[in-house]
Amino acid sequence: MSFKWKRLGENSLFLLPSIILTAALGIYPLLWMLRYMFYDYAGYGEALFVGLDNFSRLMRDGLFWESVGNTFVFAGGKLLLTLPLSLLLAVILNGKLRGGKLLRGIYFMPTVISTAVISVVFYTIFNSYNGMVNSLLMKLHLVSQPIDWLGPKHAMLTVILVAVWGAVGNYMLLFLAGLQSIPQDLYESAAIDGANAGRRFLHITLPMLAPVAQMVMMLAIIASLKGYESIMVITEGGPIGKTEVMYLYLYKLLFPVSTGSPVAQQIGYGSAVGFASAVIVGAITGLYFFLSRKMNKVY
Amino acid sequence: MRKKWLGLSLSLMLAAGIAGCGGNDSSDKSSTTNGKSDGSVAAPSADKGQPVQLKYWTDDRHDQEYIKELINKFNDTNGDNIQVELTVMSENYTQSVDIAFSSNQAPDVLRLKSANTSEFVKKGYLTPIDGYLTNDMKTKFGSLLIDNVNRFEGKVYSLANTGLTMRLVYNKDIFAKAGIENPPVSLQEMVDDAKKITEVGKSEGIYGFALNFKNPKQAFDRSIREILSLSGYQGLGFDMKTGQFDFAPYSQVIEYFKQMHKDGSILPGAETLDIDPLRAQFAAGKIGMYLSFSTEPGVYKDQFPTDIKWAGTLAPTLDGQIKGTSEIVSAGTWLGISAKSMHQEAAWKFMQYMYGDDVLKTYHEKGFGIAIVPSILEQAKNPEIGGMEGFLVGEHDSLWPASPNVTPEGSNYADAFFKYMIAGGDSKTITADLNARYNAALSKAVEKGEITVTPNPGFDSSKPQDK
Repeated sequence: MSFKWKRLGENSLFLLPSIILTAALGIYPLLWMLRYMFYDYAGYGEALFVGLDNFSRLMRDGLFWESVGNTFVFAGGKLLLTLPLSLLLAVILNGKLRGGKLLRGIYFMPTVISTAVISVVFYTIFNSYNGMVNSLLMKLHLVSQPIDWLGPKHAMLTVILVAVWGAVGNYMLLFLAGLQSIPQDLYESAAIDGANAGRRFLHITLPMLAPVAQMVMMLAIIASLKGYESIMVITEGGPIGKTEVMYLYLYKLLFPVSTGSPVAQQIGYGSAVGFASAVIVGAITGLYFFLSRKMNKVY
Repeated sequence: MRKKWLGLSLSLMLAAGIAGCGGNDSSDKSSTTNGKSDGSVAAPSADKGQPVQLKYWTDDRHDQEYIKELINKFNDTNGDNIQVELTVMSENYTQSVDIAFSSNQAPDVLRLKSANTSEFVKKGYLTPIDGYLTNDMKTKFGSLLIDNVNRFEGKVYSLANTGLTMRLVYNKDIFAKAGIENPPVSLQEMVDDAKKITEVGKSEGIYGFALNFKNPKQAFDRSIREILSLSGYQGLGFDMKTGQFDFAPYSQVIEYFKQMHKDGSILPGAETLDIDPLRAQFAAGKIGMYLSFSTEPGVYKDQFPTDIKWAGTLAPTLDGQIKGTSEIVSAGTWLGISAKSMHQEAAWKFMQYMYGDDVLKTYHEKGFGIAIVPSILEQAKNPEIGGMEGFLVGEHDSLWPASPNVTPEGSNYADAFFKYMIAGGDSKTITADLNARYNAALSKAVEKGEITVTPNPGFDSSKPQDK
């Protein structure tokens, strides 16, 4: 056996575990879902082939399209607050700040804490009957009546704030890694040429950070469009569907929230909703890549 | 090179070994088994040869110490060398059962509830027990064999033990403070009482009414269901007489809930309230009344011990008249035998032991559930839990025939009516839309052969079990 073939055999063996895992946990479920979106299937019994019925139901399913709208509001709000805030924190912590490492750890902490735990804590902070936020606002005489933070009017704002709190540290760290890869001599020569801090940020930091920022923003967009975990714990999509986002709607179709009376799984329709949701997220990500293609040109 | 291959082969063998060990471990990490209180596991009797090992899975946690005790007694005393191992699941029981059956690691005996029995039967997980039933057992449980609850297509899969009654739970101290002598018997009285309580208590954060509206279906299925059945209508919107869905009576009840919301008598934030935070607020004396199951006395004994004076009483009705019976829910099933069990005879012997008079009687007396088997009710003393007296099965309680479970397109009745309750809309249009969607889903399910519906024009809601 030639050296080349031996090498190929070795390499294949190393790749085998990840190929098996990808095939079993990624490709197989995907093919399974692609099949069942053309079936009426409740998870047991006979799966009935229904052609494109699930997709025609999807087109007239007002709840799904409401959830798509809610997803855009949630993702838009989260991105608008998270990205500038995490970049700002990264720039501040990239300077020679006393206790910077400790602050980095503190800001990153929400990323490693369980989303469910964070969400339960935020529920107790924001609930209107004995939540801390209302107690504080009322003690400071800023409001006379408790604000219904989780009610129909404010629930979306509240879940966005919770999502921002959970995400800022993560993106801050990614921006920080990007900032630290910018050569210091660029700043030094700009300083010698008389550029102030603002000009250095605008003309060196931002352009040099562009490739990293492009990736960070892509990750943030995908995560925001797919995020539903904290919403599930805090409001379960309510009240009256005001915080029902696309992937939470999908989750409930596939794994109905248990109640005293049975609720059936809708594997067939859920697969169609899953496919449509993936197409929506994929299309937005693709559009973003197209619009941001110039960001990837490193100076 | 040879060393590299040897190393790789060893790694693969190790990985396969670890995976194999993992695969054989059928017990969930979050579950507990029937170790004795000192931590040791019930040992098989060594002198009788290889014992028959049975696995019993349940998701009941409230009674696990008592069940462990019963199983250890069975293991020590049965003359057939049967050893039962108990596994108490903490979460995702149905999914765990699905996985166990698809990987041939199914338990021999399963805890069945009304929410999962029909699904388990359809999936082929259960074996009928008709062949095992003795004449005595047929007499004892005969009146509690109900189609689509424990009997499917004429075959019996489980037997009844306990059921849950539903009641209005109210804080006696708050009612007295608001000058209300008796709990409401009509929905109008409930609205008026909730308003009075809120007027008197709002400054101290006390409100008249609350429900766990975070999941409207859970909230309404523990309240409106009972109000309707006691008022003479099926509680989930199904009309037994016509065999069709008709949400008109449901919409009448919603008007009163809407009024309470408009009056500001409902605890602020109830839109996102789960049942446990609600109970915590009730235990803290902040809620005048709510409706719930007979699990509440146990909750206020162990989970949220409270000093407030509270009681359970029959739910109010539409017009103050009792025209139907209060539906006993989650009743009719307890244990069932796996269709894949290699030891079905032994499993039945264990089931027979568990369905013995002594076990069922003590189960009721200890307050783990309210007995519904007539012969047990005759001999058992009242449960030892305070507050349970209001939940005991009385003349106005009964089982109802099962209503068909269908999944309509769009929002379910609870979400649609809850939206109307807090955001308004046209009640008649919402009701007509629900009727149309639910009946369309019903026709589809009937056409597919998933459900059979037989209209019963002579249905009498005061005797719902009469044919």
